[in-house]
Amino acid sequence: MKTKIAVLMFPGSNCDLDTVHVLKNVMNVETDLVWHNHFKERDYDGVILPGGFAFGDYLRAGIIAAHSPAIDEARIMLKDGRPVIGICNGFQILTEAQFLPGALLQNDSLKFICKWVNLVVENNKTALSNKMKKDEVIDIPIAHGEGRFFTDNVKELEDNDQIVFRYADENGNVTDESNPNGSLGNIAGVCNLDNQNCIGLMPHPERASEAILSPKNTTHGRLFFASMIEYISRRIGSE
Amino acid sequence: MTKIELNGEEVNIEMTREEYEKVKELLNREPTITELGAFDVMWSEHCSYKSSRPKLKLFEDAESNYDYVLAGPGQDAGVIDIGDNYALAFRIESHNHPSAIEPYHGAATGIGGIIRDILCMGVRPIALLDPLRFGNLKDNPHSQWLFKYVVKGIADYGNCTGIPTIGGEVEFDDSFESNCLVNVACIGLGTIEDFKHAPSRAYNPGDFVILMGGSTGRDGIHGVTFASRTLTEMSEADRPAVQIGDPFTKKMIIEATIEAVKTGYVRGLKDLGGGGLTCATSELTGDGNTGAKIDLKTVFTREPGMNSYELMLSESQERMAFIVKPEGLEKVLQIFKKYEMNFAVIGRTNDSKVLEVYFGEDLVVSLPAKALSESPTFKRKEKRPSYLDNLLRQIAPEPDLGLDEILYQLIASENICSKEWVYRQYDHEVGVRSVVKCGEGDSGVLRIIGTDKFIAASVGVNSKHCYLDPYEGAKGGLVEVCGNVIANGAKPMAMVNCCNFGNPEIPESYWYFSRAVEGMNDFCRRLNIPIVGGNVSFYNEDEVTKTAIKATPMIMVVGLIEGEEKIITLPFKTAGSDIFLIGSTKKELGGSEYYSVIHNLDGGQPPKVDEAQIRANWDFIRELYKLKLVKANHDVNKGGFIITIIEMCFKNNYGADINLSHLNKENLRDDELLFSESVGRFIIETDPDNNDTIMKIAEKFRVCALKIGTVTKNTSIHINGLESGMIDLDVRKLKDSYDSTIPNLMEI
Repeated sequence: MKTKIAVLMFPGSNCDLDTVHVLKNVMNVETDLVWHNHFKERDYDGVILPGGFAFGDYLRAGIIAAHSPAIDEARIMLKDGRPVIGICNGFQILTEAQFLPGALLQNDSLKFICKWVNLVVENNKTALSNKMKKDEVIDIPIAHGEGRFFTDNVKELEDNDQIVFRYADENGNVTDESNPNGSLGNIAGVCNLDNQNCIGLMPHPERASEAILSPKNTTHGRLFFASMIEYISRRIGSE
Repeated sequence: MTKIELNGEEVNIEMTREEYEKVKELLNREPTITELGAFDVMWSEHCSYKSSRPKLKLFEDAESNYDYVLAGPGQDAGVIDIGDNYALAFRIESHNHPSAIEPYHGAATGIGGIIRDILCMGVRPIALLDPLRFGNLKDNPHSQWLFKYVVKGIADYGNCTGIPTIGGEVEFDDSFESNCLVNVACIGLGTIEDFKHAPSRAYNPGDFVILMGGSTGRDGIHGVTFASRTLTEMSEADRPAVQIGDPFTKKMIIEATIEAVKTGYVRGLKDLGGGGLTCATSELTGDGNTGAKIDLKTVFTREPGMNSYELMLSESQERMAFIVKPEGLEKVLQIFKKYEMNFAVIGRTNDSKVLEVYFGEDLVVSLPAKALSESPTFKRKEKRPSYLDNLLRQIAPEPDLGLDEILYQLIASENICSKEWVYRQYDHEVGVRSVVKCGEGDSGVLRIIGTDKFIAASVGVNSKHCYLDPYEGAKGGLVEVCGNVIANGAKPMAMVNCCNFGNPEIPESYWYFSRAVEGMNDFCRRLNIPIVGGNVSFYNEDEVTKTAIKATPMIMVVGLIEGEEKIITLPFKTAGSDIFLIGSTKKELGGSEYYSVIHNLDGGQPPKVDEAQIRANWDFIRELYKLKLVKANHDVNKGGFIITIIEMCFKNNYGADINLSHLNKENLRDDELLFSESVGRFIIETDPDNNDTIMKIAEKFRVCALKIGTVTKNTSIHINGLESGMIDLDVRKLKDSYDSTIPNLMEI
């Protein structure tokens, strides 16, 4: 069976078309852009909640989208182990929907930040990181105003291997200087406990998948989508 | 303000008594109160261009002179054909007055307005650029407040709509202290068919008129007449005339509009900006030579009890008017429903050539559709200011400071230092098109996905130069902004401008406008750059302090790059490369950063533009690019060419060995040579093997090109060959000063 991925479009999503572009034209995987109210989980092997400002981020980033019917559909996928991925605003939605632990607070600078950063891979077993090496350094940009990860139980996340990516310097050292937004423990991406099939991260892999867009001519963003596709094909293979 | 009597009541209007008499003459009767309000708005300076129109006639013929220009001045945006079946739309306009009173919402709604203008051309907005002017930041909390919240307003609105802000420009000068400038530019991309589907006219009788988007409230009533006055102490009380933006609704309007245009059923599109429903309906029908019947009772409102006057004049944000073919009505409305947008069918077009507006049963407006858009024009008096002669005579004494110390001060000056504090707050990458990002090149470069084409866009002008000579200053602005896109490898395709000036009723202020327009026109005709749009903001003058802003004919240029290999960026790439200065350095320090920062002078002789030489320089650069001889290029701007070299060292931590012993042909003083702001110069990096070839090409094109140094691995800059001996600079120390100026002033 052919892999098919849905990219959800909430009112206010704005990285939806970018994500579809990379999946279709760079990764060559069948992808639908799906209006949130039209989303049916049974048609897809995986779903991505893209960046943007769903419902204008009114009340609190991600919270209105977290209560939409599309999230109920995604919850079925979460339970049966299909990949559910949140990028930036998608990550905010997934924490608000409690698919993922923690919360994303306003950056410690109190300002929106758009810049390229480095990540270091901490868990390379997940549906979004299985094509990476542990401790590999990734070039990728961030663009957010509310990306400061916080949880009151970081120890539990560490013990359960739920921390997938941390902000680091270009050698992979996790330092205060390389933390762009004040995230607790430099955490940039986390996964769920059960299948590690749900991952949320603040940086934008879709902006790091073509050399022409990268200051260092890297294409590390592809590793994220390749991991997702690999995870799906392993899952389909084992059925 | 003029007091008139209407139906026995005294009414205050903005238009003059003569204009009011003209209204009565046109109608052959007294206007209704709603009609009077409509005329008052539509005949304001902001909507009617009544002072500037006679002068702007100079720009009118781009569409007939250039076959790739699809839409020129007078339309919502300029549009050019860039090949491969793509149309590119762009426009720049001002939102100065609202931003001076309420910087956050003023700037945000400026972005909202310019996005709607681009959307009106049927294409997707893909980039924003924002040139700004404020008073100096140091020791000035008011300027800091304006700067902080204007940038935040742009960031919050632009970021939310998913349109990257790819460039901009900021100057600080005390003439902008109470009249800051917020100019906003937007670029849109679509197919030629998309553009053809969306003329901003209602040509056909029988089509439906639909209002879509945000609801209509009492905000912003008479916003445009407010923008056509000078700011006074009373202006704080004008705050309700500033609208509040909603970028989330705007994002939905963008998606719904683009989907609707793609159906082919939309026959006309117009945004509701200044003048609200009055402006949109009268322009759609007036320009389309049709009429319409509108019922205001159908308009969805934010608050109850709004009367016809308020409904016609509200400038509530986030609204669009659509003219839709009858057979497509259902299909278009389905799309609006999908995006959960509010909409109302408010009327139909007809062939009466009359705009009839009802409020239920009552006829409240009945005007010839063209009447509102045909305001009287004024031939304003112009007079060269008498203070200029003294200013132009100013000469700086030899500096007390060492040249090294001066360079450290210049690199940290507000007008030269890094603007990273600004662009980090803008999402400049959304859309996955941004190839040359903020800080990496002189312009922003975007790819056109699916082609081998790229566009480069840049904005700017030097207000200090224009203050001393608006004619040469406007030309110099074009040299600079075109130079920016050329440095990145593009051919300049077209320009739009936004003229920011003082009160046109004052002859000295109007002279600045008039000379700047002539400068732009002469330059563009000689260099074959079509002018495809413009916007005018007058009355940037403070009545309390009696000061006008420094003349600012803001320029935006869009260029086309064919082939990824032609894209060149600013940072030095390799140690051991040679550094060339292209173009000649003259004793032109009037309005320079050096005069301003070190000598506290506003005057002197500003740079002059020799179009033939500029053309030769550009052709020369293009030839070098064709032969792949250039590794980095940065056009010389504020502070002179050493500042340019310093900026090229920063990113990759290089230094430079510079020898100027062969450069000084005109026996300039050391400070004059280093800090002259002569226009049309570039610093290029090239492989040493190319030297002979470059010199031969320079001779052929009659261009002044000289090797002045090499790129070095160590992070220091040595300058030899000056009268006053050697200069040594530490690149790290320069970079620290360059980076820290604005954060130190803004992060309290």
